[in-house]
Amino acid sequence: MAVAVASRPSLLLTRFLRSSRTARVLFPIAVLALWQLAFMTMESNILPSPAETLSFMWDEIRLETLSRHTLYQSFAISLGRLAIGFSIALVAGMAIGLLMGLFKPVEDFLYDIVVVTLAVPSLIWGLMTGLLFGFGNLAPIVAVIGVAIPFVILNVLAGLKNSPKELLDMSRSFEIPRMRAIRHVLIPSLMPFLFAALRYGFITGWHGLVLAEVFASSNGAGWTIRFWYDAHRAQGVLGYALFFILFALFIERGVFDPISRRAFRWRPSIASLPVVEEAVPDAKQFKIALSQAEAEETDSKE
Amino acid sequence: MAKTIGAPVEKVRTTAELEQARRASTARRIANLKRWGWRIAGYAFFIGIWDVASGTWMSDRVLVPPIAVVQEIGVIFQSGELWLHLSSTLTKIAIGFVLTFLVGTVIGLLTPHRWWEAFFGDFVTATMATPGLVYALVSGIIFGFSPFGPIFAIVLASFSYVTVNVAEGMRALPKDLVDMGTAFRVGDRRRLRHVVIPHLAPYLFTGVRYGFSTAWKVTVLTEVFAANVGIGFTLRVQYQLFSMNGLLAWIAIFFILMLFLEKVVLQLIEQRFFRWRQEGKLA
Repeated sequence: MAVAVASRPSLLLTRFLRSSRTARVLFPIAVLALWQLAFMTMESNILPSPAETLSFMWDEIRLETLSRHTLYQSFAISLGRLAIGFSIALVAGMAIGLLMGLFKPVEDFLYDIVVVTLAVPSLIWGLMTGLLFGFGNLAPIVAVIGVAIPFVILNVLAGLKNSPKELLDMSRSFEIPRMRAIRHVLIPSLMPFLFAALRYGFITGWHGLVLAEVFASSNGAGWTIRFWYDAHRAQGVLGYALFFILFALFIERGVFDPISRRAFRWRPSIASLPVVEEAVPDAKQFKIALSQAEAEETDSKE
Repeated sequence: MAKTIGAPVEKVRTTAELEQARRASTARRIANLKRWGWRIAGYAFFIGIWDVASGTWMSDRVLVPPIAVVQEIGVIFQSGELWLHLSSTLTKIAIGFVLTFLVGTVIGLLTPHRWWEAFFGDFVTATMATPGLVYALVSGIIFGFSPFGPIFAIVLASFSYVTVNVAEGMRALPKDLVDMGTAFRVGDRRRLRHVVIPHLAPYLFTGVRYGFSTAWKVTVLTEVFAANVGIGFTLRVQYQLFSMNGLLAWIAIFFILMLFLEKVVLQLIEQRFFRWRQEGKLA
């Protein structure tokens, strides 16, 4: 008994250190520590200290900025363009995907072009739209459309190919009206693919947008980080880099993960869904979504 | 007698069946031709639109016709600059990707360990979702024109793909083999060599494929901002010269090379080596 009492405080400390929540928090702390170390040992005075960068970020948050727009304005402009471009990409992509799924000649006609377009790096979209459309809103929006449309098309195609034929046949043999069959069988079976298209098309569209803004825009988040780069202000670049990272984390964990958990609540096991690789060259993203969702499931079970 | 057991028995076919089979194969051939017809029509259509648009909708200095791009490619080949920039970029990709592979695999291998997974979890998610531009600019500003910049950017941008796939593989590790190893007191290192690594091979390969795809894109992007040699550098030069045909020509050369590496080489290797594994080819 005396032994147990004596070891209790150290037991608490060990449990604290061993918990995963601590691990999660420890990583940014470790990065900050390494950064501070690098700052103190590196000779070049280009690398700013964490303190300088954090104070820059704090200034930006408080709307005190040297650049043309505040942090919020820049992100708002970018997100606005992303919304417009991505909505167009979704609508057009779903239409084209449906046509391709329903009519084989259309699929043969367009498939190769779609695959090639999918493989075009965002940089190329940025440079090309920059040269073609000059400065303004058009270039970033076209870049988003170009980047996201093949994604949507291929995922819609894969979804149609994976439609549960047995269930549709069964609904036909039970003479269920078409609209009901579509609503209760087809749409839910398309949901994971639409969600993959939405989630990863959005993120890839965001990458494309930011790049297009760097080369062909005078406002927006991409332009702002380029502004600081050209001004050779490392804390500006690093500060905005961290804003981008935080934004990415927020979108992934704060927006898409909860939506995916809620939308696929009804599904007993996500891993049982077949993933079509040949038809969806970017099914990797979908598979990553699957494994993440699975991780969340096992996490929430514990 | 023993030799003929299991040998295929020749099926005697009637004339009607042979006729049917011939008709079916002709129908298949026609259907195949039709598909190829549509495919080629697709290519012709888009290249045609490009050509038309170049003269009429947009000035042909801005949107150059396809011919001009082909000519420019010829000019580049002749000028001898190609190898200089190409080799610089390829070296950076090679070194960066080897590092990516190592870092990604190590972190992925740590996944079953709850603490390390929590430690690296947000990092992997964040790096996967951050635009490559961020890595390019950050390495540009820290490393300047040094080749370490692109390498640093490559590791940050693509290790997450390797990690995620290795993590997936670790999750699917056959528990019975691991338990058997424990029962027979097989050491950790031997288990790693004989159970874990072979099981992980297809996952590693998928990770490599997608990591490589990201790696070369980030390299070129970093070179655009922070290099004075390399494909990205040439792209920036062409962009600043407003030369669309130069831009498209360099893009075409590099892009085709990379697509070749990705789709042809890597996919062929994957299909040859992992043909026998069905569940391994998850994605």
